[in-house]
Amino acid sequence: MTTAVTNPDARRRAERRRKSREVRTAYLFLLPYLLLLFMFGIFPIFYAFGLSFVDTIEYVFYGIENYVFVFDDFRVPRAIFNVLTFVAIWVTLTLLAVASLSLMLDSLGRRTAGTLRTIFFLPGAVTSSAIVVLWLFLLDPTVSPFGPVFSLFHWENRQDVVTGIGFAGVFAIMALFSTSGGWIVVFGGALSSLPTEVLEAARIDGAKGFSLATRIKLPMIWRSLVLMAILTFAGGLQMFVEPQLMGMAGAQFSLTDWSLNQLAFEYAFRMGDFGASAALSTLLVGTSIIVALVMIFGTKFYKID
Amino acid sequence: MTASVSRKPGLSVGRFSVYAFLAFAVCFYGIPLLWLFIAGTRSDASLLTDAPFALGTWDSLARSWTNLTTYNNFQIGTWAINSAIYAIGGVVLSLIASIPGGYALALSEFPGRRLILVLTLIAMITPSSAVVLPIFIEMKLLGLNNTYAGLILASGFFPFGVYLAYIYFSSSLPKGVMDSARVDGCNPFQLFTKIALPLARPIIALVAFFSFLAIWSNYFLAFVLLSDDKLYNLPVGLTALISSSGALSNLPSNDVPIKKPEVILAAILVVLPVILIFLVAQRFVRSGTLSGAEKG
Repeated sequence: MTTAVTNPDARRRAERRRKSREVRTAYLFLLPYLLLLFMFGIFPIFYAFGLSFVDTIEYVFYGIENYVFVFDDFRVPRAIFNVLTFVAIWVTLTLLAVASLSLMLDSLGRRTAGTLRTIFFLPGAVTSSAIVVLWLFLLDPTVSPFGPVFSLFHWENRQDVVTGIGFAGVFAIMALFSTSGGWIVVFGGALSSLPTEVLEAARIDGAKGFSLATRIKLPMIWRSLVLMAILTFAGGLQMFVEPQLMGMAGAQFSLTDWSLNQLAFEYAFRMGDFGASAALSTLLVGTSIIVALVMIFGTKFYKID
Repeated sequence: MTASVSRKPGLSVGRFSVYAFLAFAVCFYGIPLLWLFIAGTRSDASLLTDAPFALGTWDSLARSWTNLTTYNNFQIGTWAINSAIYAIGGVVLSLIASIPGGYALALSEFPGRRLILVLTLIAMITPSSAVVLPIFIEMKLLGLNNTYAGLILASGFFPFGVYLAYIYFSSSLPKGVMDSARVDGCNPFQLFTKIALPLARPIIALVAFFSFLAIWSNYFLAFVLLSDDKLYNLPVGLTALISSSGALSNLPSNDVPIKKPEVILAAILVVLPVILIFLVAQRFVRSGTLSGAEKG
């Protein structure tokens, strides 16, 4: 009788011990990552948030003065406008290019599609400063292989080209060039794994070519296209490199406060005002986190269980 | 393309516009890289006067290469070595963090697990450039700006890698084998090193691939954290080279031997390792990005 009483008890205790050992092991495995997550995810965000309420020149509590300063800066609305224009063009171009090219490639033979996909994908290797350097050449009619195109518009030098396309358009083209190929590869995989029964049935019902692509395949990848658009949007809001490096082509192209991140950089490095920089950064990170939370909890894009 | 044409007799307007659009896309994506690699062989004068795709000579290539590599006491070599140090350090650190981390998240139930997953996703979706300035402010506080360690630590934080490893381990570890190994007396560490790790080779390669790409091409963080030009990585060095020589601004010439061809070679140096890795890893990436971005 006694054994019947103590046994479940002992078992429960053993179970609890096993459980707590499991928790300890799990955290031990996670330790390096958690340290980095704290150091480069959580801490900087909260530190910047705290700093945004401090006058970092006198080091006194400053209330919301830093935010007031940011909102009063006439360059901020202009930068918001610039960035939103860029993002609108970039997201639209990305959606159009990725959706149409993926669907078109899906209708080609495998070998051809594979080769073309590689051609679209390789520019992904051109990143950060190299994109800007490459495109500064490509936008210069005196050296550019696209010279004939520019002469159609009577653009004779880089200034003409950049003014003709507009800065937002130029940055959108650079970003499209480098980032869309990766997505085309992703969607190539997605399209090739669509259930063949559905596609067969549609084909038997007479859908082919265009209608097969737009009526059957497009709705099936629609959700992923939305995911891509949101990620592109979130990335675009944070743009820094492209406008920052335009000055390499000479003073007439120099943009030091074109995007919001550039302004945050200006506040910190030109003006030495880390409080204002932290305030603007907090607003930028906050926007990104809200987008992320909507994506995690509002949609079922990511698996968390 | 001939193969697919012959599949369908005749060329309808629809087919024709598909081919026209594809041809346009091939030009848009293909011409710039092709031009870049050809232009690297040409002289400054040839770039301005010859046809865009005219081939250069070995001589001009060799001259530009010497100009570039010897400039400022072999500075570009230092930057290339730095880039390699940052990349190797960052990739190793990101692997040390993501593989066991993703494994623990996938295999055990523990308090705080869901919170860690949500934080990981937030960090993964938030573009890394959003936290560059906060990280700089923090690094200044810690005195880690302008050090190798600072940039390596910051680039070792790679939440996407943790998420990829988590997805991989939760879907592809054979539960039966794990259970019987546990019954046979494997402790949690042996379970990880003897069973999970050997099976994790694809995910290790995939995380290494993505974190390498992110670190190699990191401009913003490196630019903000590093002010000593001896510590620059290649992307930052490339811009420093151009700013100091004015090679891209079409201004009257100066004595600096860095002209357009040298800049093009430097850009190729930044791009080439990634292109090579792309070509090698292509198949791999297709299945991998899918599990992270598409099916997730």
